[in-house]
Parts: sequence; structure tokens; C-alpha cells
Amino acid sequence: MIPKNHFIDRRHFLSHTASGFGSVALASLLARDGLLGAEKKIRESAPGKFPIRPEIDAGNPNAPRLSHFEPRAKQVLMIFCSGAVSQIDTFDYKPELIKYDGKPMPGGENLITFQGEQGNLTRSPWEFKPRGQSGKMISDLVPRLGDLADEMCFLHAMTGKTNTHGPGENFMCTGFTLDGFPSAGSWMTYALGSAAEDLPAYVAIPDVRGTPQSSGNCWGPGFLPAAFQGTDFNAAKPVRNLAIPGGITTRTDAATRAFLQRQNHRHLAGVPGDSELAARIASYQLAAKMQMSIPEVTDLSSEPAHILRDYGVDESGSKIKDLRASYGRNCILARRLIEKGVRFVQLFNGAYQTGGEGVSNWDGHKSIEKQYNVHGPVLDQPTAALLKDMKARGLLEDTLVVFATEFGRMPTFQKGASGRDHNPDGFTAWLAGAGVKAPFTYGATDAFGHKAVEKVTTVYDFYATILHILGLDHERLSFYHNGIERRLTDVHGHVIKEILA
Amino acid sequence: MKYFLPTPWFLLLAIVPASAAIDFEKEVKPILANHCYKCHGEKKQKGDLRLDSPALILKGGDSGEPIFLAGQSAQSHLIKLVSRVDPDDAMPPEGKGDPLNEVQVETLRNWIDEGAEIPGSENLVDLKMTTDHWSFQAVKREGFADKTIDDLVTEKRVEKDLTPSPRADRRTLIRRLYLVLHGMPPTEAQVAGFLADKSSEDEAWRKLVDRTLASPRYGERVGRQWLDVVRFAESNGFETNRERPNAYHFRDFVIASFNEDKPYDQFVREQIAGDALGAEVGTGFLVAGSYDIVKSPDINLTLKQRQDELTDMVNTTGTAFLGLTIGCAKCHNHKFDPISQKDFYEFQAVFAGVGYGDRPLKKIMSEELKVEAAHLRLELAAHTTALEDFRNKVAAKAGEIAANLRAPVNATLNVEEFGVIEAKFVRFTIRETSSGYPCLDELMIFDSKGQNVAPGAIPTASGTLAGYPIHQLEHINDGLVGNDHSWICDQTSGWVQLEFAEPRDIGRIEWARDRDGQVVDRIATHYIIESSLDGTTWSILASSDDRQPFQGKLDPMAFLAKLSAADAEAAREVLAKITSKKTRLNSLETGLPAWIGNFSQPGKTFRLYRGDPMAKREEVAPDALEVMGTLGMAIDEAEQQRRVKVADWIANRENPLTARVMANRLWQFTFGTGIVDTPSDLGVNGTKPTHPELLDWLAVEFMENGWSCKDLLRLMLTSETFQQSSQPRPEAAKIDAGARYLWRFPPRRLEAEAIRDSILAVCGTLNLEITDGPGFYLLNVDRENVVHYSPKKITGPEEWRRMIYMVKIRQEQDSVFGAFDCPDGNQITPKRSRSTTPLQALNLFNSPFVIQQADKLIERLAGDPAKAFAILYGRPATAAEIADSTSFITEYGLQAFCRAMLNTSELLFIF
Repeated sequence: MIPKNHFIDRRHFLSHTASGFGSVALASLLARDGLLGAEKKIRESAPGKFPIRPEIDAGNPNAPRLSHFEPRAKQVLMIFCSGAVSQIDTFDYKPELIKYDGKPMPGGENLITFQGEQGNLTRSPWEFKPRGQSGKMISDLVPRLGDLADEMCFLHAMTGKTNTHGPGENFMCTGFTLDGFPSAGSWMTYALGSAAEDLPAYVAIPDVRGTPQSSGNCWGPGFLPAAFQGTDFNAAKPVRNLAIPGGITTRTDAATRAFLQRQNHRHLAGVPGDSELAARIASYQLAAKMQMSIPEVTDLSSEPAHILRDYGVDESGSKIKDLRASYGRNCILARRLIEKGVRFVQLFNGAYQTGGEGVSNWDGHKSIEKQYNVHGPVLDQPTAALLKDMKARGLLEDTLVVFATEFGRMPTFQKGASGRDHNPDGFTAWLAGAGVKAPFTYGATDAFGHKAVEKVTTVYDFYATILHILGLDHERLSFYHNGIERRLTDVHGHVIKEILA
Repeated sequence: MKYFLPTPWFLLLAIVPASAAIDFEKEVKPILANHCYKCHGEKKQKGDLRLDSPALILKGGDSGEPIFLAGQSAQSHLIKLVSRVDPDDAMPPEGKGDPLNEVQVETLRNWIDEGAEIPGSENLVDLKMTTDHWSFQAVKREGFADKTIDDLVTEKRVEKDLTPSPRADRRTLIRRLYLVLHGMPPTEAQVAGFLADKSSEDEAWRKLVDRTLASPRYGERVGRQWLDVVRFAESNGFETNRERPNAYHFRDFVIASFNEDKPYDQFVREQIAGDALGAEVGTGFLVAGSYDIVKSPDINLTLKQRQDELTDMVNTTGTAFLGLTIGCAKCHNHKFDPISQKDFYEFQAVFAGVGYGDRPLKKIMSEELKVEAAHLRLELAAHTTALEDFRNKVAAKAGEIAANLRAPVNATLNVEEFGVIEAKFVRFTIRETSSGYPCLDELMIFDSKGQNVAPGAIPTASGTLAGYPIHQLEHINDGLVGNDHSWICDQTSGWVQLEFAEPRDIGRIEWARDRDGQVVDRIATHYIIESSLDGTTWSILASSDDRQPFQGKLDPMAFLAKLSAADAEAAREVLAKITSKKTRLNSLETGLPAWIGNFSQPGKTFRLYRGDPMAKREEVAPDALEVMGTLGMAIDEAEQQRRVKVADWIANRENPLTARVMANRLWQFTFGTGIVDTPSDLGVNGTKPTHPELLDWLAVEFMENGWSCKDLLRLMLTSETFQQSSQPRPEAAKIDAGARYLWRFPPRRLEAEAIRDSILAVCGTLNLEITDGPGFYLLNVDRENVVHYSPKKITGPEEWRRMIYMVKIRQEQDSVFGAFDCPDGNQITPKRSRSTTPLQALNLFNSPFVIQQADKLIERLAGDPAKAFAILYGRPATAAEIADSTSFITEYGLQAFCRAMLNTSELLFIF
């Protein structure tokens, strides 16, 4: 369990910087001979802003660790919609679009977006209605999520840095458009470890249709140690190499592990005190526990009928129902992982492009109405059920829920098409649960929902705030890599204080 | 946010008469003092900027932006900031001081427009970048040249109150040597041979080191480290992540270079400019990084993608060879090292002409073969004429050739002759193509004297396909030919036009798809060329109407059926000869395609404010880093020369960084951690060397000995330092847990590849028959537009090759060994991290791969568990081990035993 007063003070931090003989493995990475130049310079010029390096136990790298200051949330559930959800067809209501439907967008004559030229402004095919006590206008594409509007803190003025999916998903998941940077979940598990002893600290749940467009980048450790990578599995696809290999009995398996541990102990006896060898022995014990706990957490058979019904997993027989049921099962899995204390759960809706543009994800370029009429119902009911279920179980007390996508879409239809092109200049994300105000709306796009104009929120601000909610200073959570103290927020980002509960 | 109300112009005039000369001391300095000094003065230098001395004003701050451009207030950074055009980029920042009022801003404007004189700055010489950081100082070992590695290690050890460990036994040593140099344990026979060597310890060890270094397994092992350093992988990355099936040439080049002990300076040169040195595969280095192939008509995106590519080349060149993070100076002057933002863009200009893609490898022909090739070309010409005769027979018979029909269009050159005509405009309209959007490499328009007058004319077009630096409208008349300097339309039909400054006489036009003959698609098959004096009335100069139809898409052999039986047979014979001779000629002249990039003369390079491709500043010439001098290149220096000169500057004994960086990498390769443990950053933000003299000693030794990696490694491996026992000693561990001061040989876990290779080796399944050439896959590939990968379930001998030969796909790790901190080639990895996770345990304990290998190991044991200890660990089993193993096997069988043994730490660690 995490101790109640679980933030790190400076004295505590300093007293733990020296690495003893007992932590060679990761310490060899993290502790250095003297300070790095950056650290020195930062310490001299801005005391208090030097990096805070987590103290990592090589034998159990994901043991829970202290945050920098008192956190408002302990866990994160991120729902990531791959393909770029259209803000103006879901959560960002723009009455002017109805008024100017079919007219050219002022100033948009020469605008070239990702796929080329713009057609006319086009209203959303879905009605917007006031929802909840707050009366937040949300579209009929996601009515059940709409019912939960009072639980949400909307960020309507999100901006990205790229209008292509790969770099966009990289940016939203890692803070960098390029491949190869640590994912947000890796940063958080690197900083905090996890309370879930027998489960991975960080779980990514890919859509049953496949991985997101940036694939493993979305949960990769980048240059952080592999201990902090997301483990990917979902309700349909188990963790690789988890099961006892075919033809081997449980008894033989256990005896084999015991023999292995005996041999490893004999070896360790010859090199006493070697923590890396001790860590390997511990890792086989933990792996054995996971062999029990992961099948247990992915086994939904103990879930009562009403839960299955709420999440929409009891219905099948049509494309929508089947997809909804699969996604619903992943939603239940997400809740179960959060219940077990997993630090970061990343739940994907939408996969890489397959079967044509926008068929398997939210990339509605050419026929948005037809495609979203599949994606909307698949997302809506299970996600809404997940939020309600988590609330009912008190999980939202300690868990921050994050809804994100790589960028938004244009208020115009593409020239000669019935869909919307990419738009990184304004899109919507929302937060719910621990640490944030709700109902609350922060920031706005222009009259048509094209560009963020009010309280513009960069991805850096977004993550500075999420880290803050977890009790982490985004400027001090860093890792030296090739000359730079790398951060999730690069050299940018401001905590959005207004949205904090 | 604060904005100013516009001040009426007359008010301004009244207060600041335009004619009054601004006095810096009296009028400008007080403004700076009141509004700026607080953060940019004596006490604080935010953004490394100080405004309280003339020299420092001229130097500017970290942004790399000059404070002002004399005479150009509107373009001056100072004015942009203080007039608060961009509220996020305004000075003083909100809450940090009072904004300047309109009058003050106007005063600064006028001062700049009047020439921005600063009294006291007249005699300032150019501010030169300097540094006293250790790694930039000349490499020397005067005073300690005659010492040895062991002497220098001992000195530091004594300083730290540490004592060395005794020499390890022969079994430990041979195992350590093989794991370090080959990434696989020695075989039983190799161990036995070494144990039986009757020569002295030193002599036996020296011979063993020589043998191990001579093995091709060495290049496969040390090459892996280099491929990490240069972020090599075999797919493009990003969401499409397509494979690069021809990237393996570079991997083989790296392995071969180490195996043949190519002098390191040559190795460096070949990677930067191998195309100029007869080692063209080397430039695979430049384009080994990820590459976003998703293109868009959005110019912002296109420019940003290109900037990312060039940044990657600059960054990798800087870190790999120089241990300098030049990439950090893209947006602002380097925060720590003496690298300005201007340096970054000058260095970028060196690579500005490098493009991604395959290039067919040229073959180097002997004189004899050159003669053969010349003969073949002559023969081919004769056969082609003979074949033409047959074709003409058919055509004539069919009455198809009217005397006045011209030959069909072709890809490499089309000549349009017409009477001399006066024209101001020439327009080339394409109506149909052989395939895709039309492409022209160059439109040449000749005057009556036979001079190509097209260059200099203004090109316009109906549209140009966006996103391809090699396909630009300007290329249509830039005087350069070939696909890399061509124009592509953005529709299947369209036009391109040239406008002369003045009407001129023209008489002939030449055009082609690709005069280099490399590309034959997108040929304009239906076209019309017109001229005009006024741009409205047009006369036709030439068209495809009088040409024979383009045959490219039809069956070129159709004519055979129309010939008489005898003729057809003769024609077939000719065809057969053409085919075989062409094949032979091709095999002589061109090799396989390789992902080694392509090169073209680049356009201008500009410094970019904050690294933003849309915020161009002054143009820069290609150059090295100012702090280490200049290469004096012209602003339009020939593309290849840029790289050649920078390669020579890096691979140079005068360069203080190059030898130090590589000596340190080889030390890391040998001992697990470098003397500098930030091996790609020897700059101020890197860590200091634990043994500065040793590093310099090694660097000098390296250079004086012809940059031989093997010789330098031999010195390290034969040192007493390397041969120490790795046994822990608590009293020493208290002082130096990581053994950076080498009181013992520091043990370490093997990397992902070495674990896999070792398992294959001990199970007797390692396939060493195929080494170089195309790699093997551990992933199934589903090739849609976006490529998807899934782990292969079953592997066999094809996959049981050394892992360096695995096709390395970005983002997609091998399902078993990827979890062992294996980088995916997306970022440079000068040093592997080493973590221990339950996923590694699951993979090694349960994967089908390990179970399959365990079954293979059974065959090698012949029922004797003791043999497993000999094969896996290179040592006899202890009595306790035998007892435990025997009773375990009795109950659970050999497979369970082998499975456990393959998971043991003793197999996975270097001790």
C-alpha cells in the first residue's frame, strides 16, 4: 500500500541519492559519477528545479514510489481513440456551423489541409442536445457519454503539432512527434511504480481490430529501461508467453521453476550480494504470480449479467454489436485492472487503417456519417458504462480518466467528399474523476470549431497537468538521454490550475 | 494580455521627430536598463542574454537571433519582442516588467533604422566561440605516453583507495573473452584447447585474443553496438512503417568493416561520403533513421518532415562521430556546448542534398570487364537495329508507317524540331501519360544558335505534386536532368509553361522523363507544345499527333506473330541475344539496389528561428562547427564536396573528439561502461571521464596506430585490468559499487541479441551458413498501405541465424528477446539500459522458441546432465548440481531440465 503521506521531500530525496552495493542493476544506469552538466547548471541557477530521480529497486523496479508532492489521483485510465475523433461531431457544439452549413469557410479559400483543398462548411449530421444538470451540448453520436457530461472536464482548445496520424499519435502518447520517445504511461510508472504487486504496472489494451496507428510507440518505453514499458493485452488476446507451454503439466512447470531457482541460488552463492542476479530470481517469482493474476483479471466470467449488459457485451450478431461487445470486454478489463491498482491503463478504441480509410478507426475523410455511425455506438455505451461502473465502485476517487485522440477534424468537408480532413489546430479531450473539476469546460475553438482561440491547451499543458494531478512536477521528472534531460513535456507546458478540483 | 491603442501619427511626430538622431547612451540605454536589465543584466542572464555591454548586445542570446538588423527595424528581433506582436513571444514577459510604451518602441525603431550605433562597439572584433571544456582540447599524451593501460588504471585505483583483484582462472577468462568479443560462449573444444595450452599465461592469452579477434563472429558482435549508435533499422517507422528490404547492405558493410579492421577514420569517411570514395554502401548511415513517407499537399507538413529528416542526420552525425549533441542547437544556441544555432544550420546544409531511398549499387569493373562491356554495347546496338528492321517489315506491311509519322515518345529524350519562331511563352500541355501523373525532368528550349535558353525563364504550371523535394516546378528548367531534378504534375493531365523575360527566337525543344534512364513511368504520351508572344494567342510547335503511338503498354512482342515463319524465328534469335547480352551488361554495370540514399544539389539553407521551417532567417553556407574553425565552403558548394569536406574534418587527427569518442566506445564494448559513461555526449552535459589521461592515451594510441580498432581492443583485452577476477569484495564495493575504477572486472548481463545467439549456440542450432545478405524475419508481415507485423510462432534454421541478421522493424520488437532492453532503432542508443522484468522471465521460460531449443539441447546431452554444465557454462558440474539435476531429471525428464538450464543466470551473464 502507498503510505498516506507519500510525497518526497528534498531532504529525503538527497539522502537516497547515493547508491549502495545492493542496487547495481538500475543504479548503474541512474546514478552517475557526479552530476550531469545540466543538473549542475540547473541546481546553480534555479535551486529546487533539478531533476528528481526515482529511487528504483532493481529487484522490483515497479515497486510503488513516492510522488514529488501530495497527489490528487493515484492511477490513470486513458481512453485513446485512434484515427482522430471529430470534435464538432461529438463534444464541441458549434451552432454557427448550422447557420453557415454549405457555405465556404471565411478565410478558408486557400487553406490546404492534410489531404488537400476544402469544400464547404458542413454541420454535424448528429443533433446536439443539452445533457446533464449542466446542460452541456453533446451530440447524439455519443448520447450515453452525453448523459455523463456532469462528470467531465472538457478541454476544447487542444492543439497538436502535426496533421499526420503516426506523428500525431506519437505526440499525444509520448509528447514528441518522432518515433522512439517514452510513452506517458512509461513516464508515470518510471516515476511512481505501481501498487499492483502481481500485475504489470502499466497495461495497454489494444482494440481487438489491431494496434493503434503508432503501434507499440503508444506504450513503448523509448529510452527508459524496459521495466517501464506497457504490457499489451486485451480481453481477447492474452499476454504473450504467459501460459504454460503446451504439453507441460502445472506440476512439471512448478518443479522446473523451483529447479531453476535452486540453480540460480547456487550461482548467486558464488557471487554474494549481486543484486542483478537477485533481481532475476525475484523476476521469476513475480512472473509466476502473474501467471495466476493475469488470467484471473482477464477472466470476465465472474462479472454479473447486469454488468455485461451495461457494457453491451451481451449482444452480438451484427457488426456494430460484435465490435461493441469486444470493446466492452476491454472496458471491463480496464476497470478490473484499475481495481487491482495498475498505475496506468491505456484503453484503445480504433486500430490501424485496415479495410480502407476510416473503416477501422476515427479517420472519417470521405464518408464520415456512415463510418461514425459504426464508431459512435461502439464507443458510446461501453465507455459510458465504464465511467458509471467506476464511479459506483468509488474508483473515480483515486483514478483520473483521460479521453484523448491524436487531433481533431475540419468543420468543412473535404473538396468533393463527405468527410472531414485532419485538424491539429483545435480539438477536444476530456478528463474525469480524481483531481479535476466537473462539470467544467476549459478553452474554446472559434465559431466553426476550426482553431483553438481561447485558453489554448497544448499537449505539453495537458501532460503537465496530468502529471501534476499525480503529484509529479513535469519539469523535474526527467531522464538523461543523449545530452538532454528529456521530459514528457519537452521544454514546454504549464499546469492548468483552473481545472484542478 | 496587454495591447496598445494605436497612437495617432501626428502625436508620434510631435514627440519623436523623424529627423532627430537617436543617442544610444541617452535614449536607448535607459530603456534597456529600466525594462530589460533585471533579467538580462549583471545579476541574471535569462536565455544567456546580457544587454548591459556593447559586446554582449552584439552577441545576442540563446535564441540565435541577432538582437537587431541595423537599418531594418521591422525585421529586428528586439522590435518584434518589445512591440508584443506575438503575445507569447513578447518582452518583457507578462508579469516580469512593464511593457514598453509606444514612444519607447518608436525610439528603438528609429535607433535601429538609423544604423543602430552603439558607442564602444566600433573596435570590437568578431566574437569568437571559444571553450575550455576538456573534450575540445587537443588530444595529447605527452608525459605519460610510455605508461600502459594498467598503469593508468592503477593510478586512479590507488587514488580511490582500491586494490586490484587477482587474475581470473582460464575458464572464466575464455568465457569472458568470447562473450565480450563474440556475444556467445566458447565451445567445449575451445575451452579444452585453451586449458591445454602449455605456454605461459600471457602467451596463451595473447594467442587466444588474436584468434578470437580474427573470427568473423567479432564483427557481428561489435557491429551491433555501432548499429545502435547510428539508429539502424530496416523499416521507415511512423504509421506506415514499411520495410526497407535493401537496407541490409549497410549492416553487412558495418560488420565487414570491423572484421577487416578497416581504419576507423576511413570507416567514418565512408559513412558520410562513401559515394566519393568507392564505398557507396557507407552512406546507408545517413538514411538509416526513420522516414515519414506520408506526404501531404500541406506545405507546412512537408517542410517540417524535411526538417526532421535533416535534424536526424545532423544529430546522428554529431553524436556518433563527435560525441556532440549538435541537434540540441536546432531551436536555440546549445545550452551547454559551444554550438550556436547558426552552427546547426551550417552543419545541416552539409546534408541538405541527401534524400532517402534505394540506389542501385555500382559495380567496380576490371579493365577486362570494361572491354567486355564496350563490346556488349556495340553488339546490342547492332541487334537492336536488326530487330527494328523486323518491326519495320511488319509495320510497312500493315501500312502503318506513313512516311511522315515520327517515332513514338520515349522516356530518355524527345526532340521537337520546328522552324525558328519568336516566342515569349512556351507551354507544354500533357493530355495523357503512360502511367500516373506526368513527369518531365527538364524542358530545354534551344535558340537558333543551339543554345539552351530555358534556364532563367519563369516556370508556371497547372499544378505540382506537393511533398517531394526531388520534384519541384523550378526543376523544369534548372539545367539539371534526371528524376531527382524533375517536375511532376498534380493531375494526370496538365501543363507547364516557361516565360522568357523578352521574346526570343527559338527553333528546337528537347524534353524527357528521365535523361538518366533510371525511370520510365509517367511519360507524356499525348501532348502538345505551343508558343505565344502575349500569353493569349498560341501557335502549335509540336505535338504527339504526328508520332507513332506509344507502345510502352502494349505487348512489344506482338509483331512476331505478323512475321513470316522464317523471319519470326530469326527475330526470336535476335531477341534472345538481346536479352542475354542485356542481362550480362546489367550484371556487369549495376548491382543490387541498396537503401543508401540519393544525392542532389540542394537549394538554399536558412537559419530557422526557433527551429520553425516557416520562420526562415539568413541563408547559411555549409560548414563545420565554428568553435573548431571553418571549412570555407561556398554557399552553393557542390553537394558531394560538402560531405567530403566535413568527413575529412571529422576523420582527422586534429579533431579532438573523433578518436576520443571511438576509444571510449571500444572501452565500453570491453568493460561494459565507458570511461565517459555518456558515450555519445562528451560535451558539457555529459559526464566527466573517470580516467581522463587513460582516455587520451587510448585516443592517441588509436590514431598513431592507424585507427585500428582491433589493435586498440587487443591492448585492452591483454591488460591485467581486463583479466582480473570479477569476484565481489564488499570493502571495495562500498567505495565503488559499479567498479568504474576497475577493482574487479565488472560483470554484466548479456544484451538481447547475445542471449538469443548464445541459446542457439549451446543448443547446437546456430545457423552460421548464411551470414550476409537479406535478413530473416521473426515477424509475419501483412503488407497493406500501412504494414502490420505479428510475431512468427514457429521458427526453424532460417530463423536460427545470429540476431544481427534479423530484419529489424521499428516499433515491433521480437516477442521473446525484445523485452531485454532491445532498442528498436527509432532513437540512437549509445548504451543499452539493463532492466530485469517479469516479462523477460515469462518470455524465456514459456516461449515456444525456448521450448524448441530445449528439445534440441536434449540431443546434445546424450542423457548426461553434466554435459549441460560443460556446454552452457564451460565448466564441470559440482557434485551438488549433479545430484539435484539427476533427481530432477528422473522425475520430470530432460526437457524440463534443459528448459530450466536455458533460463539460468550463469548462461546470461558475463563474469
